[in-house]
Amino acid sequence: MSESQSFEPVLLEAVGVENGHSFESYRGRGGYAPLEKLLAEKQPPEVVEMVKSSGLRGRGGAGFMTGLKWTFLPKDHPGPIYLCVNADESEPGTFNNRILMEDDPHQILEGTIISAYATRASTAYIYLRYEYPQSWNALQAAIDEAYAAGYLGQNIKGSGFSLDIYLHRGAAAYICGEETGLIESLEGKRAWPRIKPPFPAIEGAFRKPTVVNNIETMACVAQIARRGVDWFRSIGVPADPNNPRDPGSYGPKLYCLSGHVEKPGCYEAPLGITARELIDQFGGGVWKGRRAKAVIPGGISMGLLSEAELDTPLDFAGPGKAGCLGLGTAAVVVIDETVSIVDFLHNSCRFFAHESCGQCTPCREGTSWSLRMLERIRAGKGRLKDLDLLAEIGNTMGMMPGSTICGLADGAAWPIKNAIAKFRDEFEEYIKQSNPTGYMETDPVPALPILSAH
Amino acid sequence: MIAQRKILTDEMVAQIEALAPRYPTKQALTLPALHIVHDELRHVPLDAVVEIAQLLELAPAEVQDTLTFYQFFHQDEPHGKVRAFVCRSISCALRGGEQVLDHLCSRAGIKPGETTPDGSLTVEPAECLGACDFAPCMLAGNDLHKDLTPEKADQFLDTVRGGAA
Amino acid sequence: MPTVIVDGQEIEIGADERLNCIEAARRAGVEIPHYCWHPGLSVVASCRMCLIQAGSRNAETGAVSMIPKLVPGCQTPVKDGTVIVTDSELVRDSRARVEEALLIDHPIDCPICDKAGECLLQDYHFEHGQGERRADIHAFTSRRRDVGPTVTLFVDRCIMCTRCVRFTREVSGTAELMVSARGAKEEIDTFPGFPLENKLAGNVVDLCPVGALGDKDFLYQQRVWFLKKTANVCGGCSAGCSIVTEHNQDTVYRLKPRENPHVNKWWICDEGRYGWHHLHDQSRLVEATRRGSDGFEAVEWAGVVSQLRDDLTAAGRLAVAVSPQLTVEEAWMLCAVARSIDPEAFLAVGYVPMTGDDESFPGGFTIRAEKAPNRVGVETVLALFGAVGEDGNVPGWQELLQRVQTDTIKAAWVTAGYPTPDGSWCDDQTAAAFDGLDCLVVQDLFDSPLSARAHWRLPAAGFAERAGTWVNCGQHAQSFEQAIRPPAGVWPEGRLFWNMLGRQGLYDPTGVRQQIAENSAAFAALTGDLPATGVDLRLQQLAAT
Repeated sequence: MSESQSFEPVLLEAVGVENGHSFESYRGRGGYAPLEKLLAEKQPPEVVEMVKSSGLRGRGGAGFMTGLKWTFLPKDHPGPIYLCVNADESEPGTFNNRILMEDDPHQILEGTIISAYATRASTAYIYLRYEYPQSWNALQAAIDEAYAAGYLGQNIKGSGFSLDIYLHRGAAAYICGEETGLIESLEGKRAWPRIKPPFPAIEGAFRKPTVVNNIETMACVAQIARRGVDWFRSIGVPADPNNPRDPGSYGPKLYCLSGHVEKPGCYEAPLGITARELIDQFGGGVWKGRRAKAVIPGGISMGLLSEAELDTPLDFAGPGKAGCLGLGTAAVVVIDETVSIVDFLHNSCRFFAHESCGQCTPCREGTSWSLRMLERIRAGKGRLKDLDLLAEIGNTMGMMPGSTICGLADGAAWPIKNAIAKFRDEFEEYIKQSNPTGYMETDPVPALPILSAH
Repeated sequence: MIAQRKILTDEMVAQIEALAPRYPTKQALTLPALHIVHDELRHVPLDAVVEIAQLLELAPAEVQDTLTFYQFFHQDEPHGKVRAFVCRSISCALRGGEQVLDHLCSRAGIKPGETTPDGSLTVEPAECLGACDFAPCMLAGNDLHKDLTPEKADQFLDTVRGGAA
Repeated sequence: MPTVIVDGQEIEIGADERLNCIEAARRAGVEIPHYCWHPGLSVVASCRMCLIQAGSRNAETGAVSMIPKLVPGCQTPVKDGTVIVTDSELVRDSRARVEEALLIDHPIDCPICDKAGECLLQDYHFEHGQGERRADIHAFTSRRRDVGPTVTLFVDRCIMCTRCVRFTREVSGTAELMVSARGAKEEIDTFPGFPLENKLAGNVVDLCPVGALGDKDFLYQQRVWFLKKTANVCGGCSAGCSIVTEHNQDTVYRLKPRENPHVNKWWICDEGRYGWHHLHDQSRLVEATRRGSDGFEAVEWAGVVSQLRDDLTAAGRLAVAVSPQLTVEEAWMLCAVARSIDPEAFLAVGYVPMTGDDESFPGGFTIRAEKAPNRVGVETVLALFGAVGEDGNVPGWQELLQRVQTDTIKAAWVTAGYPTPDGSWCDDQTAAAFDGLDCLVVQDLFDSPLSARAHWRLPAAGFAERAGTWVNCGQHAQSFEQAIRPPAGVWPEGRLFWNMLGRQGLYDPTGVRQQIAENSAAFAALTGDLPATGVDLRLQQLAAT
């Protein structure tokens, strides 16, 4: 699909433009006029319908249909209704939200204001991760400009619609990117995700109806308002006509490419580009003339594609067919042939053990147990049986089997599952080589001293 | 009776209270309040937690519960004047991030997570900083250091020691 | 009536009942294991031990469709047609894994842990756990730190169910407990300088499913499998919380709350919880003594029955203080005995200790200022005997004090039984009111300025040493069993009054209760077998009018 490379950036239209982040620049590109038009001509339910019919699916990782999520809000609620914009972007390999915030904050704001209008939210909180100080400055400056220009505050452009947007700063916890973890953090508590039901649309922030949407999703809303539903649906992978449950993968997507490529970066392409195309056409190929051993398709939570699977289309349905968790954040990380799969899995397990919120037993103990096994394997005391235990943890921990409250556990499980399923030989070789006298042991062995790593 | 405040300055309190109209509950001011104090003092001492709790009409344990969850706020001692987060997640690890972290720490004479004896620098491992296009990278204060190498780490240390960072 | 199917068994639930799967399964005799859920606290579904399979049965076709993944029983409501499966391989494997996960880093403390024998982690391991350990061996023993003056924490035994934290936030409203850190490093803790110190603090120990939280009062005192349990009622105040007295060889080791939806729900206050030590105080009165020429002489109980009656008869007009510590049965028999000695005996409610004001907590629990369990019951008994003044009220302690100082009253029988070893319930000045009497009988647990003046000192029974009925401040009557025997040599009030009435055989509290129920409208509700959680007296009183 070489049309990908010829795709004219839309979401990234401000990148490289001098002062592209400014209000004037955004206006010059056509920004805020769509908002005014919607406020003047459409009622909120019509805007919801617009987004719904565009087929826009959330860009934060879950890929849930955005417009459909908005319809879960109770009709005729006296309010307040809250819109939370998830700018906690912490999925390893992901940085597209950062670029959007730094380079085109007004695109995000317009999308947010339109979304708030549609959902009748009166306050929007942008929950921004601590590690993005430049994004903070860019967004705050843009918010100030938007208030000054009358696009925020009371009675926006005489429409009767009022909205305040506030930035709320995180404190370096990955779980604050989980919808209800974000809400708990916003409310001032530890970010332990909530059990569902009730869903946030019914009872969210401060016990009021709440919608949580990703930064890139907001940018898409602004573009849908500007360029139209038909335009959006003309890009990407249409729904399979034989499968009534397939919502399709419409619209442009920001793909983050990093790791062992010549040109790491954030690239915009229609949904559906394959991993191989992304690496070769945008990324300059695997670096140093090497081959890829494995590729993360959408942030570390999604697992691994093997080299043979690189023609998998990166749309919402593709990675799942290759045994990965899904498209996730579409953050593609290339791992070359010199990397030990054991080191990869250790890095993944360490991340999830560190970030597990600790609330529910299978994730709290499963992430810790799997890290400790990887530590022991790397210390030359691994057993073949450890691979069976790791695979079992991978298969039983998560929202999908129903054993945990949120999807962090699924994200922790999938790298384990994929790594062992697709690279088992390498694991076994490593274990046998590094622990020739003990790899056959099946009885429990002494634990390593408690690690300080997590 | 509100106990006499000893740690929170009037300015800090004013900053916290200025945010109150944004949220329907006082508890929602917890994280912003922690940041306001932490930005100023480079830690949130136990006494400050008590004062924040009084201001927000919460029990100290409730504020401390939130504080400790993030594994982010220093409490016993201030962190260094420069706080450097070196990323150790997958994209940075694939491009030498762990080696840079080890190098930086060993040159600074500390272990990851520690502060130099002169109080100038804290080096901590971070999870994905969201700058994988410039891996390996480090966030020091508000500055993102990109495409790190051991040499760049040495240069950074020089500026810290020279007080310029 | 809605029907729920539990492991193939159909049960009916009330049309208005809101039950979760755990509660519904219990009705079918199936116990779904769980740690973090508690009916008195918010639902968090975090332990994941209660994961089951749920689905629904189509009312018309009978076809069953199950939710494809496991669901927590505690957060899944049941309605008509809900299908619950707890005995499938999927469910069994899930439970085994949760158990295993909790045991990975659990200290090997069973031999030194108080909770052994009543520990859910132990029980579920045997019932639901893996046969063998698969995780690395890490043998260690728990760290310990106090979280308050009465509760200690064995930090590493904690399984993070957060019941204790939720209790301090939702029920006591004091929020002293917190979770600190994140992930597998989480621990329960308090904020330095703000210990767990509220009046309901001890309940967190009941809530803890494992031996993490410990009651300092009970720590290392007794292995729980030696304890016998008796359903009792707390005698500390007029709330009348249902309790369980846990004892061995006539020694009480601890009190625990007993669930009673009408009174205390699941909780008791610390004052009640730890209010049993007086039972074993060395200074208890253990024999009947009569003032002679050379001081007090012990009197054999058989002799007390006749001699006491003779002394009181000889003295003349009798005034009786019927203590609010006595049971309804004891109070009734005492009044009967008194009137058999002096048909015009003046009957009054004994001293009712009051401390402060009623104190209510956010969860609804209330500690009463009235520190006696049965004033309402005693007043109602006195009214049956016509002991009602001109103002329509039953006379109390103050009026009795006035009466005994007049020339008409010559003798007084003061029943007490207050749990104050220093006898401070009655000070010297108050006691002096009784100085002019020819015969003063004091029946109490401990010596006091009043007993020092008495002609007869009789020992009393403590709350766990009697069977009978108390009526709380809300007209809720509870009958309870005797848990332990009083110290050797003590005839509890019930036994003495029974004998003084000339009744044959052993004192039969149930028989007396039945007799009272059949002969009074006020106590009509006390007839027959009573529910363990008691009855509201007003129901039958209204029916009778």
